[in-house]
Amino acid sequence: MIELEGLTKRFGTHAAVDGLTLTVAPGEIFGFLGPNGAGKTTTVKMITGLLKPTAGTVRVAGFDVASRTLEAKRAMGLVPDEPFVYPKLTGTEYLRFIGELYGVALPDMRRRIPELLELFELTPRGGELVESYSHGMRQKLVLAGILLHEPKVLVLDEPMVGLDPKSGRLVKDIFKRLAARGTTIFMCTHVLEIAEKLCDRLGIMIEGRLVACGTVAELRERAQTTGSDLEGIFLSLTGGAEYSALLRYL
Amino acid sequence: MRGLGLLLRRRALSAWNTLAHFSPGEWARNLAFGLAGLGLLGGMHYGFYRLLAYLSTVELIGTLLTWKLTAMMLLMTLAMTTISSLLTSLTTLFYSYDLKFLVKAPVSLRVVFLDKSLESAFFASWMIGVVLIPYAAALARVLHLGAGFLAAFAVLVPPFLLLAASVGIGFTLLLLYFFPSSRTRDVIWVLSSLSLTVVYGLVRFARPERLIRPDALGVVAEYLRFLQAPTAPALPSWWLTRGLRAAAAGHWAAWGREALLLWGAAAATYAALVALAGRTYFAGYSGAQEGGLRRRRHAFRTLPEELAAGRGASSALLWKERLSFFRDVRHWSQILLIAGLVFVYLFSVRRLPLNSPDLRSLISFLNVGAAGFVLSALGLRFTFPAVSLEGRAWWVLKSAPMTTAQVMRQKFLFSAVPTLAVAVTLGAATNALLGADAFTARLSLAALVVVALGVCAMGIGFGAMFPRFTVENIHQIESSLGGFVYMAACLFYVGATIGILSWPMQMHFQQRFGAGVWDWRVAAWAGAAWLVLNAAAFAAPWTLGLRALEKHEE
Repeated sequence: MIELEGLTKRFGTHAAVDGLTLTVAPGEIFGFLGPNGAGKTTTVKMITGLLKPTAGTVRVAGFDVASRTLEAKRAMGLVPDEPFVYPKLTGTEYLRFIGELYGVALPDMRRRIPELLELFELTPRGGELVESYSHGMRQKLVLAGILLHEPKVLVLDEPMVGLDPKSGRLVKDIFKRLAARGTTIFMCTHVLEIAEKLCDRLGIMIEGRLVACGTVAELRERAQTTGSDLEGIFLSLTGGAEYSALLRYL
Repeated sequence: MRGLGLLLRRRALSAWNTLAHFSPGEWARNLAFGLAGLGLLGGMHYGFYRLLAYLSTVELIGTLLTWKLTAMMLLMTLAMTTISSLLTSLTTLFYSYDLKFLVKAPVSLRVVFLDKSLESAFFASWMIGVVLIPYAAALARVLHLGAGFLAAFAVLVPPFLLLAASVGIGFTLLLLYFFPSSRTRDVIWVLSSLSLTVVYGLVRFARPERLIRPDALGVVAEYLRFLQAPTAPALPSWWLTRGLRAAAAGHWAAWGREALLLWGAAAATYAALVALAGRTYFAGYSGAQEGGLRRRRHAFRTLPEELAAGRGASSALLWKERLSFFRDVRHWSQILLIAGLVFVYLFSVRRLPLNSPDLRSLISFLNVGAAGFVLSALGLRFTFPAVSLEGRAWWVLKSAPMTTAQVMRQKFLFSAVPTLAVAVTLGAATNALLGADAFTARLSLAALVVVALGVCAMGIGFGAMFPRFTVENIHQIESSLGGFVYMAACLFYVGATIGILSWPMQMHFQQRFGAGVWDWRVAAWAGAAWLVLNAAAFAAPWTLGLRALEKHEE
């Protein structure tokens, strides 16, 4: 479970996130949408303890991230917007490293690391240095890393970027299965089709504020559009008129 | 060349924007550290001045000695800049983050090379160039020269540094061109470093100091001939020396000729470098992008690591540090050079012309200062960048269930073991070679062990205080403001250690000569002062660094 209460982050006078209050229940896949610079990544960084909020609280799996940081982090898995990992480790060594950081038992690592490498089709490259991996392979390695320690909460910032269609499908199926087992998933994405098909609820953020939150049907009602897909709803809520003007200009 | 102007303008804009967005706190901090840096330069100036003033007072040959020292110093500067640019350009020219963007952009590859090679030359030489300023000022003071001499110096130094850097860049270009396979390149890189170490050792084993000691030469005329002879006359360092001598003597026509020679040679060398790059740069760049499809055997922890750190997050971090460190071939070359340095250091100690046992003991004690300086330099190269080298993968540790203090402790441990090994080798071997008495040997060895740990603790502390996760080149970390402050703090710490421990040493010698008795109160005061110094050296940078790293946001 993720609970955000009045979460605020200011950089100087600019409020990147402004009083965000939100709860994501266990087993729920929550899609976090918004235009570039809306404050999505800042929110992700505050949830995962990479940034300190200016105000407000974050609770993950019942632990306050500010006061019970280690317990909260142990319960969480992060896929950042850019999958930078140690270039001089092999894929297998990276997973072993992550396993030890998160306290995965050695027998479990011995069993699960080969399984995860196989799942993401990384087995033939598991013994090579990460510096030789493509962007997509690194993304898959990071995903394998978070699945290794079986967190109760997954925080994903653009998890599909760089993945080939087959891997993308695999990852979507994995998320659905994890959610069915009670894992909370908080996902930032720009791919509206994925958000629409995968997420139970969606939040739309603009200039640091959550302007809409609910199921697709609820958002459609809010946007007062009928029969429109998520793209239409999104544009309607985030400034579709400007988009049309831009198209006319082009 | 319009493209180059554009690329250089982006650098100027970035620098300007960085300055313009400093908060008042950042201004205050940078100002404070800038002043500390100026203080360090002032201290260096004082040291150079004392040395040059002493040399100039030597009858008849004072001026000759002064210029001989200047020529040797400039030769050393030339070598250091070349080696530094060789290491810097490998990253800057072939592995910069922005290269993919630049190579793809509609600017010619030549413009990209110009931009990147100038960046390499700058980062490889600016700090070395800055250190020359207090030397030149000391020279001007001792020889009673005015601002004209300093202006003449300012005109001559940039082409000198550019020449030295161009040679290093040229070597890297050829290396990447002829050895596009990363494995072969690594082997060549290490062999080059090994050759350099061997050459360095050979030069040292030739005992050039015999030449600057008149008693080592049979005939005075031979000594004078050596002093008057050029030092490496074919190299730009000698041209610069000649130019400075001409300026000092007011022979401006001769100075103009040397200036023309240096600027002309620098322009010709750089033009040749650009021409060489036209043929080799893209092939090298392309090879560098391929990376190494290197299959590694899964590396397990060593038994000492298991015993020292057990299992779990801390132990895993130590393991990761070791793997990442030893798989980076750039570290191997540094390790080879350090091995050479230690060897030459001990050789130099062995050759010291000391006959009296008391003098040998005294030198053994002063060795704490020299070895402390070596340890500080190692700290700047290996310990200080340790936090920043987490780079863009910092999120892995920051989001993991481990504290920042744990990360710092493991990095300290990883640095402390080899630093202690070097310290003990330098201390114990020097004591044995000099035959120091038991008291001095124990005191200096204990001091070196503590200094080694102090230098490591400060390295991690200052490294955490000034983290730079987005730089692409370790030299940018070393030559940053934080690196400068760290080095200044280390030098102060080593100097203060010598100052405090000189009390018990003085009593020890007085007792030996029958000129005084051992006073336990003085010893206790010295012990207390040493404790306070080390408590400050260990705790202050560590605490401030921990706080800064916990608050660090990127």
